[in-house]
Amino acid sequence: MDRRKFIGGLLLAPVAAMAAGGDIVIRNAKILTVTKGSLDGSILIRNGKIAEVGPNVTAPAGARVIDAGGQFVMPGIIDCHSHIATEAVNEGSVSVSSMTGIEDTVNPEDIGIYRALAGGVTTANILHGSANAIGGKNVVIKMRWGKDAPEILLDGAMPGIKFALGENPKRRGGSDSGIATRLRYPATRMGVEDVIREAFTDARAYKATLDDYKARAAKGERVIPPRRDLKLEPLVEVLEGKRFVHAHCYRADEILMLLRVADEFGFKIRTLQHVLEGYKVAKEIKEHGAGASTFSDWWSYKVEAYDAIPYNAALMHKKGVLVSLNSDDAEMMRHLNQEAAKSVRYGGLTDDEALALITINPAKQLAIDSRVGSIEVGKDADLVIYDKHPLSNYAKVQKVFIDGEMYFERDKDMSDRAVREARRKQLMEKQKAAATAARPAGGRRPQ
Amino acid sequence: MKRRHLLLAAAGAFAYGQSGSPGLYAIQNATIHTAAGPAIANGTIVVRNGLIEAVGANVAVPAGAWAIDGKGMHVYPGLIDSLSRWGLPAPVDGPPRIVVAAPTGGGGRRGGGDEGPSNVQFQDDGGPEERPSNTSWVKAADLVQPNDASLAAARNAGFTTAVVFPATGIFAGQGSVLNLSGGKAGDMVVSSPVGQFLSMAAVRNGLASFPGSLMGSFAYIRQIYLDAEQYKTAKAMYAQNARGLQRPAYDRALEGVLESPRALLPAGRKVEIDRMIRFGKELKTPVILYGGTEAWRAADSLKAAGVPLLMNLRWPERDRDGDPDVMDSLRTLETREMAPAGPAVLAKAGVKFAFYSGGLERPADVRRAVKKAVDAGLAKEDALRALTISAAQIYGVDDRLGSLEPGKIGNLFVTDGDWLAEKTQVKMVFVDGKKFEPTAGGQTNGPA
Amino acid sequence: MRFGLFFLAMAAFAADDSFVLRNVTIHPVTAAAIPNATLVVAGGKIADFGAKVAAPKGAKVIDGKGMHVYPGLIDSASNIGMSEIGSVRESGDVTELGDFNPQLRSVVAINPSSEHIPVTRGNGITSSLIFPGGGIIGGQAALVHLDGWTWEEMAIERNVTMQMRMPTISTTTFNPAFGAGRRPFAETKRRYEERLKLMSDFFEQTRAYKQRKAVGGAGFAVDRRLEAMLPVLDGKVSLMIFAARERAVKDALAFAAREKVKIILAGVREAGSAVKEIAEKKIPVILGGTLELPLEEDAAYDSPFTLPGELHKAGVTFAFGTFSVQFARNLPFQAASAVGFGLPYEEALKAVTINAAKIWGVDDRIGSIEKGKWADLILTDGDPLEARSQVKQMWIQGRPVSLETRHTKLFEQYTKRP
Repeated sequence: MDRRKFIGGLLLAPVAAMAAGGDIVIRNAKILTVTKGSLDGSILIRNGKIAEVGPNVTAPAGARVIDAGGQFVMPGIIDCHSHIATEAVNEGSVSVSSMTGIEDTVNPEDIGIYRALAGGVTTANILHGSANAIGGKNVVIKMRWGKDAPEILLDGAMPGIKFALGENPKRRGGSDSGIATRLRYPATRMGVEDVIREAFTDARAYKATLDDYKARAAKGERVIPPRRDLKLEPLVEVLEGKRFVHAHCYRADEILMLLRVADEFGFKIRTLQHVLEGYKVAKEIKEHGAGASTFSDWWSYKVEAYDAIPYNAALMHKKGVLVSLNSDDAEMMRHLNQEAAKSVRYGGLTDDEALALITINPAKQLAIDSRVGSIEVGKDADLVIYDKHPLSNYAKVQKVFIDGEMYFERDKDMSDRAVREARRKQLMEKQKAAATAARPAGGRRPQ
Repeated sequence: MKRRHLLLAAAGAFAYGQSGSPGLYAIQNATIHTAAGPAIANGTIVVRNGLIEAVGANVAVPAGAWAIDGKGMHVYPGLIDSLSRWGLPAPVDGPPRIVVAAPTGGGGRRGGGDEGPSNVQFQDDGGPEERPSNTSWVKAADLVQPNDASLAAARNAGFTTAVVFPATGIFAGQGSVLNLSGGKAGDMVVSSPVGQFLSMAAVRNGLASFPGSLMGSFAYIRQIYLDAEQYKTAKAMYAQNARGLQRPAYDRALEGVLESPRALLPAGRKVEIDRMIRFGKELKTPVILYGGTEAWRAADSLKAAGVPLLMNLRWPERDRDGDPDVMDSLRTLETREMAPAGPAVLAKAGVKFAFYSGGLERPADVRRAVKKAVDAGLAKEDALRALTISAAQIYGVDDRLGSLEPGKIGNLFVTDGDWLAEKTQVKMVFVDGKKFEPTAGGQTNGPA
Repeated sequence: MRFGLFFLAMAAFAADDSFVLRNVTIHPVTAAAIPNATLVVAGGKIADFGAKVAAPKGAKVIDGKGMHVYPGLIDSASNIGMSEIGSVRESGDVTELGDFNPQLRSVVAINPSSEHIPVTRGNGITSSLIFPGGGIIGGQAALVHLDGWTWEEMAIERNVTMQMRMPTISTTTFNPAFGAGRRPFAETKRRYEERLKLMSDFFEQTRAYKQRKAVGGAGFAVDRRLEAMLPVLDGKVSLMIFAARERAVKDALAFAAREKVKIILAGVREAGSAVKEIAEKKIPVILGGTLELPLEEDAAYDSPFTLPGELHKAGVTFAFGTFSVQFARNLPFQAASAVGFGLPYEEALKAVTINAAKIWGVDDRIGSIEKGKWADLILTDGDPLEARSQVKQMWIQGRPVSLETRHTKLFEQYTKRP
C-alpha cells in the first residue's frame, strides 16, 4: 500500500469512489429540476454530464446504479458570495485594490470546501472582501475536494471584480477602524463614489494610452511601450464588458449611486451583493439589469442593515429582479437550502422559486447557467441527494456529485471518522513521546 | 557573553592554522567522498594554491606538499548552506516600511481643506508604484561581515560555503555565494549576485500599508516583474538611440530585479509549492523554491516543472509553549511526521533539492536534522549531495564548487568517521585551499 | 398580506383575554396532539381543551380550521431589547465594566420598544431569557414575555438566574493590524488561574459576608454586590455558567461542586467526557446554535448538529438559546436542525417549550398547553419548527399580540412602490 496516498486520502478524504467517465444512473428519486418541474424518476449521467432525465430511464450496460430510495435530488447549490478556499480575503491597505486577485491565494485544501460540499454546495463565487471601494478579482470554483487549485476553478466562468459601498470601505476613514494607523480616504459615501469615478477616469486614460501606443507602433513609429498597470487593467476590462462587477452594498442611496456611475461610464453592474435595501430600489435595479444576491434574514448588525428585511429576496424577485441568496459565511454556506426556505415564509415564494434562489438564479448571475444550476440534459452532473425535501429544516445531504463524480457521501464520511481519529491519536502520542525524549533531564531544552 | 568569548577563542585557533599554510596539501589513505562518484577507499587528494589538483586511489603526493596521513579519516566536499544569513548583520526589528501619506493637513491628490480636522493625516493610494518593502538592489556580498562569529562556527562543522541572502522585506535583496574563509569580504565571494530573495511578508508589514495581504504581495511582485521587463525594453531603446524618446526614469528597485539571475520564492505546503511553481512561470524568471515542509506530497509537481527546492532543515515540531490539552490537527501531525521523509521522496522522484540551515543555530543541530532525513529513507550519498553538489548546481556554480574533482575550489572537510555519526569529530576544514582546525574542545561552541 | 388581514379580524376583541379556538389541532407538547379540538381561554389562562370540549356560551369563537395550536416558544438565552444595532455601542447595554457585577439587573435595560421584540415574536417566540454579560459575573438574567408596555409588564421572573462566564485558556490572539497570533500557554494559563482565583475569592468573600450579616451588629455594613450573591449561595437562584469547550465545562462542574451552588451550563458546544457527570448531576444545559461550524478542523462536519441528539441520548435536560439579538427569531430552525441529526422531534419541540420552562422554574405558568397555565399560544399553518410554516396568530396571557413588525411594515410599504 502506498503510504503517501493513504495519508493524503486521510487528509483530504474525497469520496471519488466512482471512476470519472463511467455511466451512472440515479434511480427511484424525487427529482427537483428547478427549471422544469419535479418528477419521480431517474437521471443518467454520462461523461460527467446529465444525459437523460425522466420517469423511465434505461440503465445502459455497465452503468453504476444508485438507488435514491425515493429521496430528493436537486441541482448542486451555488453560493454567489463566499470567502472560503482562499488564504487572503482583503487587501485593505488601499482604496482600490483591483491589482489583487483571489486566484493567487486559492487553497483547495481548506476544510471549508468539504463542509460546504456536505451542505450541498457544488459551486461558489469566491470574492475579495469589502474593505475597498474597488476590491480585487474573484474566482468561481467547484467544490472538487482533493483536486489542485487550478482544477477547482470553474473553467469558462466570466472573470469578475469586487466593489464595495457604504460602511465597510469608509471604515478606515474614521478613527474607530481598529487599526492604529493613518486614516485612509474615503470616509464618506461621497468619497466612495469619488474613488470609483476617479479609478474609471484613470482606466479610460490608461486605455487611451494603450490605444495610442498601438496606433503609433502600427504606423512604425519608434515608441517605448507603456507600462502595464495591473490596477487599471481589470477596470478597462470592466469598461469593455469583459469583467463582471460584483458590488457589496446596503443602502438604497448607494445602490442607486453605483448604478448611475456605471450607466455614465457605460458598463453594467452584474450583481449587487447583500443589497439589503434592494427592495427599495428594485425598479432601478431591474432597469439597469443588475442581479441581486442577498441574505435571507440578516439585519441590524450595523446601521446600514437596520432597514434590512427578510422579504427582500421575495420582493425583489416579484419586481422582476434576478435574485439569489448567498452566505458570505462558511457556516451559513452549509445550509443555504434552509435559507431558501425562509423566502417561502417571508414573502410567499413557491418551492421552485425558493430553490431557484440558490441554483439557477446564481448560475445566471455568474453566467454559468449553461453548465450548472438546474437538472437538465447537457448540464454538468452537479447533483445533491437529500433525505427529505431540501426546503425542510429536517433535510440532510446524503450524497453530492460534481461532474458526475461523487465528492461527498455521508455514509463514507461517518465510516472514515474512526480511521482518522485513530491515526490522529497515534501520531499525537508518538510526537508527544518524541518531544519528551528530546527534553534533557533538567526539563529545559538547550537553547 | 560567555558564548561569544568561546567563539572568539575558536577564531583565534584558525588564525594559527592558517599561518602555517604552505599552499600545497596532500591527504593520503583516507576514504574520499567526492559527491561526484562512488567513495574512494585509501585515496589521496591534493590541494594546491586553493584548488583541487588531483583526487583518486593512485595519486602521487607532489614534492613539497604538506602530507597528511588520513588513515581512518573521511574526506568530504565542503558543506554548502544553500540559503543562509550567516555573516550578515542581525536584522533590525521589522522590515523597512514605506507608507505613503498625504502631508499634514490633507494635501496630496485627495487634499483635505474642508471642515474636517485639519491635522488629520490620511493615506493616499500608495500601491506597487511606491516600491514598498523593497531593497532589491542590496547584495549580501556588500553586507557580509567576515569576522562574524557564525561563520567560524559553521566552518567548524564542515561548512565551507554559504549562499547568503538579505532577508528583510518582500524584495529583500540579492544573494551571494560566499566561501567561509575569513579575511577580506571580497575574497569570500564565489559568485554574486545569484538570486533575488522574495518573501510574502505582508502581514509583518501590518494590514494598513500595501501590500497588506498575501494577495497583495502576489500582485505587487507580479507588477514589479512586469515593470522590470518594460524598464529593460525602455532602457535598451533609449540606449540605442535617445533621440525623440522620453527618458526612462532610473529605478533602483527594478535595477535590482534585473540584476538577479533567479528568484527565490517561499513554498512550504503543497498548496504553496504548486502555487509558486505557477507563479514562477508567470514571472518569466528562473525560480528556486524554499521551505519544502510538505515536499513529500509535492514531488510530482516539482519534477514535472523542473523547479529546484531548498529544503529547510528545521523540521516542524510541536510547539513547546502550546496548550497541552489541545490536540493538534491531523494535518499538522502528518506534516510533522512526514516532513523529514520529504528529501527521500524528492530523491526518488529525481527532483533537484538542497538543504539549508533554516535558522538552526548550532551546526550540530544541522547534522542531527540531516540524520533525521536519512532515518526517514534518504540515502547518505543523497544527503551529502543535498549539502554540496546539488546546492552548487542550483546556483550554477557547480563548475567550481560542490564536489571533489580536479580544478574545483579546494573546499573540503576531514572527519574521524562517518560525518553523520553523533560522535564523529571534524578534524580539518579546507576553504579555498586553506586549512582550518577546529579547537580540541569540540566542533561546536560549547553549551552556554 | 395574509397574516395582516387575519390580525385585523382579530383586533375587534383584542381588549379581552378570553376566547375559544375551534377546529384546531392542539399540540400540548406534554401530551399527544389532539386533532379537531377546541381550546378555551378564560382570563388569560387555559381553561379547558380537548376534542369534546364545548365553547362556553357567549364566548368569542375563532375558527382555526386546518390550523395548529402550540404553546409559545421560549428562547433560553438572548439579549433582545438590550441591544438594537450590533455595531453601535450606544445602542448596546449588555456588557458592563468590571469582573463581578451580580447586583446588575438586565430587566431594567430591556427596551420594550425595541424593533427586535416584534420581529422575534413573528416566528412564534413568546418568551425569552435576557442575560447581561461582561466580566466573570455579568448580573441577573430575567425571563420576560415578548410583549408589554413596560419592562415591568414584560417580566415573568426578574432574577431567574445569575450570569457567569467561566475563564478560559486561549493561546490564539487576533490583532486587527497584524492578524492572528499566538500567546505562550504558560502565560495564558497564569492569567486563567488568576481569574479562577478571583472567582473563588469572590465566593469566599460572599460567605464571609453572609456570616457577618448573620452576626449583625454595629460593625455590619451592607455590600450590595455581595448581598446580590446571597440567593446564589443559598441555592435560591442558579448560576448560569457560560462554558463552551470541554475544559471549561469540566471547570464549571468542579467549581459548582466546590462552591456547592446550583448551576445551569450555557453555550455548551462540546461536552466530551463531561457528559456523564452532567447527566448524573442533572445539570441543565442551554445549548447555543445548532447551526455552527465545528470547533476544529478534524471534528466531524456535523458535530454541532449532532450535539443536541447526543446530550438527549445521555439523559441530559436541555433547552435551546440563541445567544443573539438579530438571529433570535431563528430559534425554531436551530432546534429543527438537530432533528435531522439524531434528536427526536418531540425533544426538539420540548427544548423550546416545556423543558425551557422547567429549567427556568416557570413550568407552572408556561411551556405547554395545560389547564391553568397562561395562554401563551401560537396558531400556525404547520410545524412551527419548519421555515416554510407561518405563524398566523399569537396570544400572550390570552391577549392577542400583533405580528406586525418593522419588516412587515417596510415590506408592505415598498410592495406598494410604483
